[in-house]
Amino acid sequence: MDSQRVALMRWVVTVCVLAGIRAHAEDPKPTPENTISVQLAEPVRPQAFARPLKFFLVDVIDRSGNAQPMMVLKLRGGIFLDRTPVEITRAGLEACLKSANMLATDRDSADFLLTIYLFNFGLSDSSRMDFFGKVEFAAMLKNPKTSKSQQVAAAGTSIAGTAFRKKNIQKNVQEDIERAFADALRNLLRGVKLRDAVTALDVPADAPPAAQAPGAAAGTNKPPVNESEFPF
Amino acid sequence: MKIIALGTLAAALVCATPTIAKDSAPEFKSVEAKHFPRAEGVELSPAFSDYLYAELRAELTKAKLFGQVLGEDEVVDDADAAKSLVIIGTIMEYKKGSVVKDALIGFGAGMRSLKVDATVSRRSNQQSVTAIHVHVKVSPRWDEKVMAKFAAKNIVKQLKDSLKAEARAA
Repeated sequence: MDSQRVALMRWVVTVCVLAGIRAHAEDPKPTPENTISVQLAEPVRPQAFARPLKFFLVDVIDRSGNAQPMMVLKLRGGIFLDRTPVEITRAGLEACLKSANMLATDRDSADFLLTIYLFNFGLSDSSRMDFFGKVEFAAMLKNPKTSKSQQVAAAGTSIAGTAFRKKNIQKNVQEDIERAFADALRNLLRGVKLRDAVTALDVPADAPPAAQAPGAAAGTNKPPVNESEFPF
Repeated sequence: MKIIALGTLAAALVCATPTIAKDSAPEFKSVEAKHFPRAEGVELSPAFSDYLYAELRAELTKAKLFGQVLGEDEVVDDADAAKSLVIIGTIMEYKKGSVVKDALIGFGAGMRSLKVDATVSRRSNQQSVTAIHVHVKVSPRWDEKVMAKFAAKNIVKQLKDSLKAEARAA
């Protein structure tokens, strides 16, 4: 009788443990309740350049290597983004450029082409006492007339407090990522690095494309050719 | 009688409010915090510098000492440069601490510690406003990022005190 009771208890414990492991191993799924919408509260106004410039956003490429880019938090049933970080970044950057009339409608009318490489979008490791939002990307700025390009790195961070209720956690995470995203865009559009890159790459509209020797200017794509390597 | 007293109190409050608001107007329009690099031999995770920077910006925003907390390397108009500050600092020392020493000896032995030196200067002429030295000690069981939180709080507190002292002297 006792052995039967022990066997039954063992069976119950085993089932409970397996169920627990299975529940823990299952990834949370996105639902309307655990999905947040990240968007800029107001567009970041880009800095003013020496002459009016138009930028065309060629592409936003995700280089984060994240298998689940839309999942920002795994704990407590998970928190998901409503769009991919690529879509959010593209929409945000276009809105900012549009607000200052700096967005070119097509590639041909643009003074500069922008390609964004997204490295980080969402939450990063924190002290567990708060949420650490981090958005990090690199913008490849290319002058289509000279085909020269230069990379401009930008990053945005933000700290938000934790909460007990799921609803408040979601709210804090959303605000945190929004602030970090706005900060990253601000870092790019109002940064000294972009100003320097534009100054280095910008050529007067009437200048011939081959006015400069290849590799002579700062920010060229191709490394300067070492003549000693070519004895013939 | 009560109505008159209440009316007088309300009038006094209404008169005092603009004075308070005028006093709390920030002296500096903007402040920019830079990432603090690590001195040679300081072994901290690469993310620590980012975290300290984020904490510092959060604390500066909370303190309401400045009209705006700028991002790193943000373009500032020449007209606003005189009313803008820049915080540059270095993480000078980090000691990992020892859980064993902390448990056996106690009284501060084996604590995890961090030393940060920072300089606050005017953007326009690089004139130093104040020099800040922060030494944070926490339990070796705590995450190193907790130290960043305390260090940021300490930096902003010292900056606040220094600006207050400067305002009183002027």
